[in-house]
Amino acid sequence: MLARVAENLYWLGRYLERADNVARMVDVHHAMSEGSAFETVLYALDADHDFADARAADPALTPESYLVSSLASPVSIRSVVASARGLARELRDQISREVFEQINALHLALERRSWPRLAEELDLVRSSAPAIFGLFENTVLWTEGARWFRVGVFLERADMTSRIVDVKYFLQLPEERGVGSALDRAQWRQVLRSASALEAYRKQRQGLLRVDGVVDMLMFEEDFPRSVAFCIGRLLAEFEEAAGRTAPERKLGALKEIMLLNLDLKSANAGDVIIDGMHEFIDRTQARLAAVSDRLSSDIFRPAALPAPKPAPGDGPLEAALR
Amino acid sequence: MQDLFAEYRPIPGYDEMFDGGAPRPAYEALHRALAGLDADAYVELQDAADLETLNNGITFTVYADDAGAERIFPFSLIPRIVEAAEWRRIETGLRQRIGALNLFLRDVYTEHRCVKDGVIPPDLVLGHAAFVREAVDVVPPLGCYVHVAGCDLVRCDDGEFRLLEDNLRTPSGVSYVIENRRTMRSAVPQFFPRAGVASVDEYGDRLLESLLACHPSGVHAADCRVVVLTPGPFNSAYFEHIFLAREMGIELVEGRDLVVSDKRLYLRSTAGLERVDVVYRRVDDDYLDPSVFRSDSMLGVPGLVDAYRAGNVAIANALGTGVADDKMVFRYVPDLIRYYTGEEPVLDNVPTFLANRADDLEYILDNAADLVVKPKDGSGGYGVFIGPQADAAQLDRQRRKLREAPAQWIAQPLQQFSTLPAFGASGFEPRRCDLRVFVVTGERPWPLPGGLTRVAPNSESYIVNSSQGGGSKDTWVLRDPPPEPA
Repeated sequence: MLARVAENLYWLGRYLERADNVARMVDVHHAMSEGSAFETVLYALDADHDFADARAADPALTPESYLVSSLASPVSIRSVVASARGLARELRDQISREVFEQINALHLALERRSWPRLAEELDLVRSSAPAIFGLFENTVLWTEGARWFRVGVFLERADMTSRIVDVKYFLQLPEERGVGSALDRAQWRQVLRSASALEAYRKQRQGLLRVDGVVDMLMFEEDFPRSVAFCIGRLLAEFEEAAGRTAPERKLGALKEIMLLNLDLKSANAGDVIIDGMHEFIDRTQARLAAVSDRLSSDIFRPAALPAPKPAPGDGPLEAALR
Repeated sequence: MQDLFAEYRPIPGYDEMFDGGAPRPAYEALHRALAGLDADAYVELQDAADLETLNNGITFTVYADDAGAERIFPFSLIPRIVEAAEWRRIETGLRQRIGALNLFLRDVYTEHRCVKDGVIPPDLVLGHAAFVREAVDVVPPLGCYVHVAGCDLVRCDDGEFRLLEDNLRTPSGVSYVIENRRTMRSAVPQFFPRAGVASVDEYGDRLLESLLACHPSGVHAADCRVVVLTPGPFNSAYFEHIFLAREMGIELVEGRDLVVSDKRLYLRSTAGLERVDVVYRRVDDDYLDPSVFRSDSMLGVPGLVDAYRAGNVAIANALGTGVADDKMVFRYVPDLIRYYTGEEPVLDNVPTFLANRADDLEYILDNAADLVVKPKDGSGGYGVFIGPQADAAQLDRQRRKLREAPAQWIAQPLQQFSTLPAFGASGFEPRRCDLRVFVVTGERPWPLPGGLTRVAPNSESYIVNSSQGGGSKDTWVLRDPPPEPA
């Protein structure tokens, strides 16, 4: 498959997953109705400094608009969906009509900008993104392209979930960070909810919310489809399928990073990580995720130079002259 | 019930649907199907068809508009109908014409016999801006230069189809032909005649077949890799490029996806470099290879021309076909047909005057008020001067332009192009229309039975280009009725 097309499918997956996650984060923090809630989301997305700069230029800009509707903001849901739709248009020969129409419809709905309530807009994003993923599973050939799409989805989801855990953990008071500490339950319930993990948590653990339990659920729970460990497991499987025809020397860089991530997450548990340093662990995870993305770009999607294949027997100038 | 056509008033010229007050024979069945409808029911049908078009994403991009805006190509449910016998004439005429133009191009880039024999002035050929030096003495496989042609025909007052223009570089519009038919089939199946309408669905297969037939000599057709080369998503015809790639089941690539190494062309895939043998390009010559043509082009592939000259890759349409679809060369095409085929042209040209010929210029200046004056290098309806619609000041200005740079202009009598009904604000009204027929050539020219009928945006306008906001119609080529049982 064309490297450019593979890269576009990968980013289509990332953007759609990102839109879904930003909507989830804004949604739960919006519900908390605290003054600083949106700042927390900006912080989680590493967008707090950019927002400060943008606000200096445009004092009317609010954190909410920066996260949801501003086209000047690269992280806003509207921008991310517009990017996804731009890619989908380029990829029309690769995706099904149903997938294109669903992405197009979401984009057009967000562009209309006549939402009576923020919650309705966020609901639409949160229901559309999974619907698109479902259509993709059900209507697009499960060949290389679909694999690259899912590589993007799972890489982005792992990244986003780790950010959600990190920012919440960082904002806790130091004395609340110990193993088994009592928690500000309302806050952690929101964290779980933003990852659709609250019900799963209750089912799985039947207990009170505890910091190690929540971290375990979001980072290491292998059966929970939004946990970092689950996503990395799927990322590994999808990558191996996607890069099936890629020469070993071009895929080893990315594969090594994914396997190390997988090993880290499989061998760690919440208790140890909390004692050893939660923030450091997540930092390392995110650095590895970034390294995977860099390797995909530099080795597979946009390599500087590739060797030309050797002409097949019977393809040389002599043979051509004799033909 | 009010007759849908009660208010229809033909304007001067040939009306495709009505002869006097009565529908022409080819339109009788359609007329009967429409007679059962009132205006509301018709509008409902049209809305349903428009919605289908929108959902399909059948869009084009308008350059003058805000950057990259997509629009639907307005589409009307009344088709143009071409009788089987009429079509046979068009088909024969276009086969002859494209055959001759391919011979002409081969001659231009090899022996220039046509110039030596005085059939056409040398400056129109060898001094032409679209003459590509790099194509000299490179004869493409099968001697085929024009793999895809878009021939624009108009029907004149006397009922005859004549050529208005040849498009031999990267003509577009065929995707609308096929999509319009699909929309019609699903929106108004009851309109279709029982004897049948020639199918347009095999276009993709025919095109791929022709492209494969023109493969470079070093490879077997069975191992051939064909790609569609697009300038990218911001091109006005991008939808069509995707469409054709899908119809043929081949890859749609941009210049940055391709790389030339050792005079061979490759595409960058996730598996590595993969050989490409035939390029159906929708990128103009000027942008095709920055190492040879425009060095600032980001759309092309450095080294592509080298690979082409080495015979390692076929390019469709071939390099340098612009020489043959020039508006001035157009005047000489009937002579070229006689010269290369020894036959009389089956289809005439619309009369054309060249302002750089002293006698023609005088005629144009004297008769500018009755003529359509066009820039010779223009396309898309830009810069066209329509004499009968101009005031005195505009006429003066155009005469001045003609005297200042006569070589830039050609003129044609204002043709009363035939009209077809289109649904306007106050019911059906006549609109001028033309017909673009697509001719695919591999072993031999094959005109797609059908075409893109483009209509003017209102009853006064003569400009039917899609970039000027006109609309389109499906074009039906009727099948011969089955023979009467003995």
